[in-house]
Amino acid sequence: MPAVQRANTWEISDSEEESDLNKPSSSSSGEKKRRRRTQEEVQEEQETRRAAREKQRQEKNKLKEEKLEEQQRRREAAVRVSLFKPENFIKSLTLQIHAALLRDAGCDVLLGTLDGLQWKNCIENQGLPNSIIWTRPALQTEDEAKNGVIEEDQVLMVISHNEFEDMVMSHKTETNQSVPIGVVYEEAESLLQHLYKYLTEASRKFVTVLVISHQQRSGSGDEDHFDFHLSQHHLDTEALYWNVSVNFLFGWQEVTDHVVAVTKAVSKRPYKVLCGEPDLGFCMDGSWSAGVRVDRDGRGLAQVWTRQIQQLNRVSPALAKAVTSVYPSPSLLLQAYEQQPSEEERRRLLADLAVVGGAKERRVGPELAGRIHRLLTSQNPHLLLD
Amino acid sequence: MLDANMPTDQVCLGRKRPVPSCPNPLFLQWLTELRDSAKEKGLKTQYVYQKAINSLKKYPLPLKNGKEAKILQNFGDGICKILDERLEKHYRENGQGPQFSADGSDAPIHLAPSFQRSNMASSKQMEAPTNEPSGNLSEHMKRTQREVRKEKGTKKKREYVPQKRSGGYAVLLTLYRHAQTPGSKGFMFRNELQTEAQPLCEKSFTVPDLGSKYTAWSSVSTLIQKDLLVKTHNPARYSLTDQGLALAEKLDSEETGMAKEHVEQMSEEEDARDGPDVVDLTLEEEEQEEKERCRSSKSLERPATALNVNQARGQISESDAAGKSQTPETGRTAMGWHLPPGSYDIVLCVDVIETTGGSSGRKQELVKELQRNCVTFDIRKLNVGDFLWVAREKVTPVPGQLRPPVGKELVLDYIIERKRMDDLCGSIIDGRFREQKFRLKRCGLRKPIYLVEECGSAAAHLSIPESTLQQAIVNTQVVDGFFVKRVQDVKESAAYLTIMTRYLQKLYHNCTLFCRSRELEGDGGDESEQTANLSCSLMAFTEFNYGAIKNKCQTVREVFARQLMQISGVSGDKAAAVLEHYSTVSSLLQAYDQCSSESEKEKLLSSIKYGKLKRNLGPALSRTIYQLYCTRGPLS
Repeated sequence: MPAVQRANTWEISDSEEESDLNKPSSSSSGEKKRRRRTQEEVQEEQETRRAAREKQRQEKNKLKEEKLEEQQRRREAAVRVSLFKPENFIKSLTLQIHAALLRDAGCDVLLGTLDGLQWKNCIENQGLPNSIIWTRPALQTEDEAKNGVIEEDQVLMVISHNEFEDMVMSHKTETNQSVPIGVVYEEAESLLQHLYKYLTEASRKFVTVLVISHQQRSGSGDEDHFDFHLSQHHLDTEALYWNVSVNFLFGWQEVTDHVVAVTKAVSKRPYKVLCGEPDLGFCMDGSWSAGVRVDRDGRGLAQVWTRQIQQLNRVSPALAKAVTSVYPSPSLLLQAYEQQPSEEERRRLLADLAVVGGAKERRVGPELAGRIHRLLTSQNPHLLLD
Repeated sequence: MLDANMPTDQVCLGRKRPVPSCPNPLFLQWLTELRDSAKEKGLKTQYVYQKAINSLKKYPLPLKNGKEAKILQNFGDGICKILDERLEKHYRENGQGPQFSADGSDAPIHLAPSFQRSNMASSKQMEAPTNEPSGNLSEHMKRTQREVRKEKGTKKKREYVPQKRSGGYAVLLTLYRHAQTPGSKGFMFRNELQTEAQPLCEKSFTVPDLGSKYTAWSSVSTLIQKDLLVKTHNPARYSLTDQGLALAEKLDSEETGMAKEHVEQMSEEEDARDGPDVVDLTLEEEEQEEKERCRSSKSLERPATALNVNQARGQISESDAAGKSQTPETGRTAMGWHLPPGSYDIVLCVDVIETTGGSSGRKQELVKELQRNCVTFDIRKLNVGDFLWVAREKVTPVPGQLRPPVGKELVLDYIIERKRMDDLCGSIIDGRFREQKFRLKRCGLRKPIYLVEECGSAAAHLSIPESTLQQAIVNTQVVDGFFVKRVQDVKESAAYLTIMTRYLQKLYHNCTLFCRSRELEGDGGDESEQTANLSCSLMAFTEFNYGAIKNKCQTVREVFARQLMQISGVSGDKAAAVLEHYSTVSSLLQAYDQCSSESEKEKLLSSIKYGKLKRNLGPALSRTIYQLYCTRGPLS
């Protein structure tokens, strides 16, 4: 670029003396030549300046556009993510209720509740008899199957007490014929057969059988009840094998409550899977994880600091207080460490601090002192403290 | 004013009779020296010596030797041997004979301390290094060790060398050799290390000697303290430090250089920190020898360890890699063993807590019901879960031994957490509920079951609304993926456990079970293996239970994250995001130091991205964290 070496505008003038200073070793060039050169140069400079300005403007625009694009992308991502949020995701679910359930008038309770919650639902003739399943459109991340409709893995089967007893009976006869667990008969006549067929054909379903009774629930002293529950255990091993859970409910309201609970649970899953919890090696929930409010001036940090010491294993509040009352900030403790002449003494700095009000500890002790020192000074994040 | 009754020469206050001088000044002096030396090093043995000193001071009679001193309180074998050795040395220097006996009657023994000290000094010179090459070890290994240490030079920094075939020795050597193999990962896991080091160690790493709770493994903590070994990560990984590497290299060359001898092993554990076979640096060299001699005279030759380690190391490594045993029927190799059909029983394990306590005695009812149902069960401490099943090797009692040998156990994939409705309430309120589920999910067993009891009973007196409880149970099934079994009462719980036990016994009737090492192979298994009901590749119970300990060792990183979360507004994902940039406290502090202004420090963390949406951490939290770590004075 010819103008690279150009001096600033005001350094160039038409006057001879000044231009003498700036121009490279001037030979005996005449005045006229210099002027012309200067004029040409000025023109060149102007052009390059214009070009530079234009370039700057373009770059600025580009940045602006990129920023807008970025914002747009973020907004879209946020929208996508918010679709996964339970309160939104639940709207994409459709509860499919098998027509057989309509035979029972009590089913109105369920339908009425679903409508009241404005959850999509429909009646289906096909599928597992007496079942309630959840369907929804496939997400971007999922493989589309069956016209892009996905069936959730949770399945409910609502049957009456009598129907359940039949199930148990027929299962008993089957097992008495020493059929190995998991083998299914060809004809699917009884509800049990239907269930078996469904389980073998569908992949990875979790069926909960809701046994609805309209009698008062009796205490376990009741004879029939007792025997019944015992005989039900024959199903247990099958149930475990097939991942079938059984729940005894009283009345359609309880069934409805259960359906609502499962729906809510199902709606929680995608968001959890999407965002996930960071695996830092410990459970994020727990009484320890409630934070301390800190205001803009840092008030509250003293309590934070004490709670921080408590995060180590086997540290009681009294023990933590013993440390932080003598060193009321991390910085003070670190300064104290620095003043120690040796590593050994740094490790033991806190060991003899007295603990007030502790259950069994009278002093901080060398073990904990060492752990705290290691925690604050180690450069290896994976170093084990204990 | 003098009282007429008092002697005119002086006023005596206090004791009216003069204190007799100690009849055993030499012993007193030596013990005092030992105590002071230990005190300097901050060791607990200073108190041991102090107690001995106190007793000695009270004793009015002269003692001939250390052996005699044993009658005194706080004089154990160790100290007595030390004193005898010192005495012996003292005689060597000053000649023996009646005029040199230990009692106070003859002067030279109890010469002025200055004389003693100069003698000691000269004695050190007498034992100048003989320049024996360290490789030339025979039964004088101990002395050579001492000389090796002397060769290293300074009296101050004594090098630590573990006894041959001690726990520390075996561990160092194993890690070294492991690191030399091509493609080595550079560290070893606990079980792996124990297994491979066992052949090199006289004492068992897993089974403590009778009357003690320590095994050879306890020397590992000493190795860590001496900065030869470092323990990181969860699950724990052991690797050599540079010093450890150097030492291990030396040990390795010695080992391969000399003929393998059976050296009698010491098995006394005086100080848990020191470990049984560690050279005790608190003592002077002569004393150390004495201590070792003392130990050796005490100890018996311990029989070989519980594990039958007939296999050459090479074979063990192979079977490690394969995960399956290549040895014949007994399958008792250290790793990669198996249980052929018929060689084991399926046994229900009941957690101790499930059988004790409870005001209504309901817990005992469970056990009674199980007994009534004739279920084979075993009560033990489970670190996670309330019930599970193990495949326990059938063992026959050995004639002459009261207790039959411990059979090997593999844990089946099912694990049950039992919850009564009131328990469930309580655990939801105090936050244990989620944490328990978290631990169950991570324990390595693939089929967790939630056994909910008292489902039918009136929920009137529970502290949480019924709907919330039901939602919690449903969530456990739907979101956490646990199998949920609802029962009415304890009797039904017992019935369920009974049915399950019989089912599993039938299921595994003809199966060969293989031991899978979780630390080496991970949780692995593809989808099909995970859903299969019949898994034959199972974890050893010991590994499982150890891995499920509640308050596990914490890493620096982990604690730092928890510490950050103590600030309101710092959630798990925010803490994780900060950790991506600064994984330790010190690295964050360093970063602050490198900032050129307070303002820069304040904003250091504000643009850290967290979460799925990559949001900014923000200036407020950045400022709070800055205030926490950079405030020079006290916090408020």
